[in-house]
Amino acid sequence: MSNHYFYCDPSPQSREEGPLAGNLIAVQSNMSVQGWPTTAGSLALEGYVALEDATVVKRLRDRGGVIVGSTYMSELGFGLSGDTAETVLKDGKAEVVLVTDTMGEARMAAAGAGVYGFKPTHGLVSRFGLIGLVPSMECYGVMAGTPQAISAVMDGISGYDERDFSMPDREKPDFSEKADISRLIRRVGVIPEATAMLDESERKAFRDGIRKFSDLGLAVSDVSFKDFDLFPLVHGVIGSVEASSSAGKYDGVRYGHRAQGTKNWNEMYLKSRGESFGLLVKSYLFQGAYFQYENYETFEKACRIRSCLVKDMNDLFSKVGVLVLPSKRLHFDARKAETVQDIYGAFALTLPANVAGLPALQMPGFIAEGAGGIGMQLIGPAFSDAELLALANHLSQQKGMN
Amino acid sequence: MDYEAVIGLEIHMELNCVTKMFCDCPNRPGDEPNKNICPICLWVPGAIPQFSYETLEKATLTCLALNCEIQEKSAFDQKVYYYPDLPKGYQLSQAHLPLSRNGWLNIVGEDGHAKRLRIHHVHMEEDVAKLVHEMEGKTPISLVDFNRAGAPLVEIVTEPDMRSPYDAMEFVRLLRTQIRYVGSSECSLESGTMRVDANISIRPGGTDQMNTKVEVKNMNSIRHVGDAIAYEIKRQEALVNAGEPVIMHTRLWDPDKKVTTAMRGKFSGPCVPDPSVPLIVISQEWLKEKMSRLPEMPAQKAERFHKQFGLMEDEASLICSEKDTAEYFENVTSFPVPARMVSHWLTTQLMPAVRERGENLLSSSVTPERFAALLEMVDKNEVNASSAKEVLVRLFETDRPVRTVVDQGSFSQVSDASELDGIVTEVLEANASAVKDFHNGVSKALGFLIGQAMQASAGKANPRVVREILMKRLAS
Repeated sequence: MSNHYFYCDPSPQSREEGPLAGNLIAVQSNMSVQGWPTTAGSLALEGYVALEDATVVKRLRDRGGVIVGSTYMSELGFGLSGDTAETVLKDGKAEVVLVTDTMGEARMAAAGAGVYGFKPTHGLVSRFGLIGLVPSMECYGVMAGTPQAISAVMDGISGYDERDFSMPDREKPDFSEKADISRLIRRVGVIPEATAMLDESERKAFRDGIRKFSDLGLAVSDVSFKDFDLFPLVHGVIGSVEASSSAGKYDGVRYGHRAQGTKNWNEMYLKSRGESFGLLVKSYLFQGAYFQYENYETFEKACRIRSCLVKDMNDLFSKVGVLVLPSKRLHFDARKAETVQDIYGAFALTLPANVAGLPALQMPGFIAEGAGGIGMQLIGPAFSDAELLALANHLSQQKGMN
Repeated sequence: MDYEAVIGLEIHMELNCVTKMFCDCPNRPGDEPNKNICPICLWVPGAIPQFSYETLEKATLTCLALNCEIQEKSAFDQKVYYYPDLPKGYQLSQAHLPLSRNGWLNIVGEDGHAKRLRIHHVHMEEDVAKLVHEMEGKTPISLVDFNRAGAPLVEIVTEPDMRSPYDAMEFVRLLRTQIRYVGSSECSLESGTMRVDANISIRPGGTDQMNTKVEVKNMNSIRHVGDAIAYEIKRQEALVNAGEPVIMHTRLWDPDKKVTTAMRGKFSGPCVPDPSVPLIVISQEWLKEKMSRLPEMPAQKAERFHKQFGLMEDEASLICSEKDTAEYFENVTSFPVPARMVSHWLTTQLMPAVRERGENLLSSSVTPERFAALLEMVDKNEVNASSAKEVLVRLFETDRPVRTVVDQGSFSQVSDASELDGIVTEVLEANASAVKDFHNGVSKALGFLIGQAMQASAGKANPRVVREILMKRLAS
């Protein structure tokens, strides 16, 4: 068991009471649990031990959840290389795994495992204690076998936290089964520009999956999104700039890896940082520094385009209740991506939800997942998280009856 | 050739908030090193900045004191650079959307006319940690004190409207007065709660060229601001006259040698929007409420003192340049003493005496009530001016009633003609030659005789009565 865990709690705390009593939950090694080694998969955080619990961890434990350990993860949560969340869940070592979703990691891992993977609306869950890389895109993702299990966890962790000022001050959604799905179910939208990114056999698999929606009596229609192909570009420019800033704190002065035998602080910085980061993250940070120092105009343009994309995406929801997108393309392997270009190719269909901050759910059962399947995600309007999970629950039951 | 200086200032000011800018640590940089630190100001992974409401309030008051337009929307940016005093690799500042723009202050120019100096913008930013360089045996080491990391600052950036060291010094003086009125900062160059950097260039007089500017730092008093600017203007003039180029760089003022010396190249790192601190949106209602809390500002107060109490304009502005002094003045005038007398004694006697003792006007033992009691006695001729000055000195040392001090020190003025008559007789007998001079038309002789009589009475004689008796006796 422990070879899939980065850290295992030798004596997991368990409360007898609470809505999550006895639930076995795994976190990633970038989610702070007081006293646990918390290195976020990077040498930059070598030996770092969290000083206090992340808000999410505290809330889960307060509701009876048992934090069993932390899984291995990609460096600073960028991609899925070396991530063990999927295995831990498949092996039944945990019922729920939290996965940092920066460009679709939680949904991609769920598509691989044939389970549900949820990315909440940005700002719904406190990021306090999450050691991230791209603050405006990333959030806690939740992987579990059923939508109800995800809803139960979301009910525990979402809602305003005074320690995360970037959260909007709004009421927590009702994650109970009473959530009203009529707004989402009225019309299902398919984005032809997204489907066009698939090859022929993938497109066929996607169409077959969509047909199942029609079979369940749902109205499905195409909604065009002209600039859909801009999402990866925007994510790449803004994400790398934010990553470059966020990773600026890893200087070896206060914690983490410090290079030996250097003559002055400048050399210490250069060598420590040079030794700390892996090739993929390093090239991502270089890319960000390039836009910061040499091509700021492009960064500004990307920010403006992002605003337009967010607006266009929100406008779609005046026409449809929910969007259905494929999750992945088969000739890209998210786990084997070695370059920034590879990784953006692999996550091109999941990252639009991160750019727009929208809730998205990888849902099994409609389109084949696993090694040969492309998976399927539902994307809802901002803060429709509870409805989206309720809709998934409803659809899975309907499908089961058919 | 005649050159004209073009000067702009960048002023960093520490706000006197209770906490730091993005966490709840006490804002006390001077405490024992690394006492006031937490995961947020150390930028431990997973920390998120929590923007302090008090910082926004005090920064807003500061902007209002400088006649700035508060912007409806402002936001924080990351000023990226790598240095051990900066725990996260960037400083949170407002580069693109500052809190306020378009301010101004009116100084009295060298020619005596009002001169408007414009402020380009005022933005908020966090302070950085303090580096201490020491030797450990033979190895030089650098220690980092994070007490100051995250302390709330505002930076005031002026337009290049100043033309002389005088302009710059007056601007800083007036700025300090304005800020101290709203109470958002101590504004002390000496203690470092205010840091003034000057950007200086020169051009042929009467042209509107903008030439290469040089930044000068490290001035620890207003006088040094003037001296450093004057030195830099001379240095640039010498360069230009010698046909050499002025190169953009930063220079440090050396207060001992009274010269500036070249420093590191100017920082020009990128500034990118910060995704963690939310956009600040200021509503009109909120702003109105802050404006209603502004005190009466020095210029209005001086104007009122001029009209209400009949003070001379420069006297009124001198009294109003410190809020404490103005308050003290108004307290004293609530007693039955002529306001102009209060203003005269306050500015020429009490203020210098308080300054000399390094005391504070409001907390000194010369309370407005005691000061008024003394002036009342002067006004009623119960004490003469020179005795009153001595009484004033004693009031700093004792809490006894003014009347008691006057009586025990026998400072009461002698106005009784019969008592003074004897003294005058003695003076006239002892100074026959002066009497002779007087009759020969030597005008100084009368003053000399009055002085002798005052001396003989140990300063207690009423000089007006002495003069009357003398005139009468000399005429007979």
